[in-house]
Amino acid sequence: MIDAIQALVVVAILASALISGSLLAPYVVRVLTGAPTRLDRLLDPVEKRVYRLIGADPTITMGWKQYFFAALLLNVAQMAIAFAILVGQGVLPLNPQGFPGLSWDLALNTVVSFATNTNLQHYAGEATLSYFSQMTAIQFLQFTSATTGVCVMAAMIRGFKPGSVHMGNFYVDFVRVLTRLLLPLCILAALVFVALGVPQTIGGYVTVKTVEGATQTLLVGPVASLVAIMQIGTNGGGYFGANSAYPFQNPNPATDVLQIYLMLLIPTTLIFVFGEMIGKKKETRPILIGSYALLAIDMVIAFLGSIPVVGPGIETRFGGFFSTFWTVITTAVTTGSVNASLSAINPLGILSAFMGMLIQATPGGKGVGVMYMIMYIVITVFVVGLMTGRTPEYLGAKINARDVKLVMVAFLVHPIAILVPTIAAYATKAVDAIPGFSSLPTSVGFTQVLYEFASSAANNGSDFFGAAANTPFFNFATAAVIFVGRYVPIAILLALAGSMIGRKRVAEQSLRTDGAAFSFVLVGSILLLVVLTFLPFLMLGPLLTYFQGMVNFFG
Amino acid sequence: MSSKASRWKTYRPVIALSILSMLVCGLAYPLLITGVSQAAFPYQANGSQVQLGGRAVGSYYIDNGFTLPIFFHGRNETNPFTASASGVDPDITLSDALSQIPRISNATGIPASSLDALVVAHEHWTLWITGDPYVNVLELNLALIAAYPSSYPGYA
Repeated sequence: MIDAIQALVVVAILASALISGSLLAPYVVRVLTGAPTRLDRLLDPVEKRVYRLIGADPTITMGWKQYFFAALLLNVAQMAIAFAILVGQGVLPLNPQGFPGLSWDLALNTVVSFATNTNLQHYAGEATLSYFSQMTAIQFLQFTSATTGVCVMAAMIRGFKPGSVHMGNFYVDFVRVLTRLLLPLCILAALVFVALGVPQTIGGYVTVKTVEGATQTLLVGPVASLVAIMQIGTNGGGYFGANSAYPFQNPNPATDVLQIYLMLLIPTTLIFVFGEMIGKKKETRPILIGSYALLAIDMVIAFLGSIPVVGPGIETRFGGFFSTFWTVITTAVTTGSVNASLSAINPLGILSAFMGMLIQATPGGKGVGVMYMIMYIVITVFVVGLMTGRTPEYLGAKINARDVKLVMVAFLVHPIAILVPTIAAYATKAVDAIPGFSSLPTSVGFTQVLYEFASSAANNGSDFFGAAANTPFFNFATAAVIFVGRYVPIAILLALAGSMIGRKRVAEQSLRTDGAAFSFVLVGSILLLVVLTFLPFLMLGPLLTYFQGMVNFFG
Repeated sequence: MSSKASRWKTYRPVIALSILSMLVCGLAYPLLITGVSQAAFPYQANGSQVQLGGRAVGSYYIDNGFTLPIFFHGRNETNPFTASASGVDPDITLSDALSQIPRISNATGIPASSLDALVVAHEHWTLWITGDPYVNVLELNLALIAAYPSSYPGYA
């Protein structure tokens, strides 16, 4: 349990995210709709030149297929560039530590992981990646994956918007979101992080003689610029293997709170963007109430468990409270950064982390969180329609049989992508290749494998294994799960949105989706769907660990 | 010929934008931050290096690896079962610091009550003014050297 002051800290951080999110939303809407913004004088000429340079006509509009494949192709091309950089880093510049190129299965895993906003890491950055790779492979993909998430969400909203005739232009969305939202925010945040103590240099690791005369290497690098985008972009992949537990990535309580806040900022903003872009601000309500109510439930579950004391896997400057709080938030927005060892978190905290990754909309990752919430709304509208005997409608559009099939398939991608490879990892004995795995209690080991694939499919990226999972099986399996978990639901949900275009809308809705009653039913149906799907597996993992009386996952 | 041209028209934005985005996000952005940081915050940007006797002896944020009985010890050296998540945690809890006072007092002859006061004077908290108290080991040991130079010959 937490005390009153800690509860106050939780409420204050969530409230700050909600307030600043609602204030930032109108600006993001202007960015996405092409309305004037304050940065226009500076960026309009640049933007025009960019379109000319890349040969994209900003005036053409796209259908869902065109939009989706533009996004997919751009992401794949970006993966290819980063892959070449990672494999070839040994001969590339800015490599003062002389790190060799990555093995190709690790490089593949890494670029798929980062281009999809997942940031699962089967390597420790400080011992594996050159400065050049940390910048031109890692930070590069962290920006583009976050941008892509916002873009596909914007396209989906346009499809659902009554009276809209197209999904927008992917290249225009990409350039505008990147230059008008993410880059300015990250420049600001990165400099604040440096001021607070996060290093930013390309001068090479520093060797010193300690007070007692021993030799010590300080692993400095371009860290602050990475921390800014990894949190703002809900990426989560750290500069260091220990992620934000490493002091250079997260030196003090102030940077810790700022990172928690930045993780929440954009996913929360995009909830408000939904209502504004749809043209019905009240329709933000079910998404807002739904995601934050589920987040509150996650939080209660996590804090019902014992809060770890400063000990193995917990950093002194954060303590057990901030470590548990961070774990809930990082999975709720599918960021995946950590400020403690996951093994140190109590089983209920890990159960809560699973809830975040399985629901994916509490409020979920950048852009995709809102998309998943729309998916849940369509499912709920259908179920409520069945129960009340009314035609299911959302935003005035009748929900037909094909729509329901699409959202069900989109929903089912997640359990299939998680559970099948989890079973395969055991069936093929691939788990035995992980050092120390066989000595773990069964429930602890199972939790860790299930977490690996849940985190991959949810494009979260936190994991128990880290570099220990740098085996061909886990590199390929998680890369495949990450790819499917990212692009298949996006394609299906864009197809759904595309089919909304030109559909007849009725002015008077038989079922109101903007009231408290609907939000309540929405939360209930999300919990029911997710719990029914995953309960047997959660039972064998974190819940069994909890009932066995364990307080952490060190085994 | 025309199909080739139309294919180029489709793929050109993809290829050009992926290269351009790499140059902007992967090079221009981090180098801009590096340049501004080195000019505006050189101490933090280079790892918050701490000086003793005119030379850098480590970073404020990285465990300095103290092992001699005359110093406060970090948590990463003493016992592997208490190791931090990062392995370089620079801080120890207040109670950990207080528990080391008898050893330091024995080894240096500094009265325990003085050491007690020194520790309390260097407290930090996980929630600024409240929360769990902790101390930065390097900061504390440098304060110790500065306050009792005669007990630490060869260090000051």
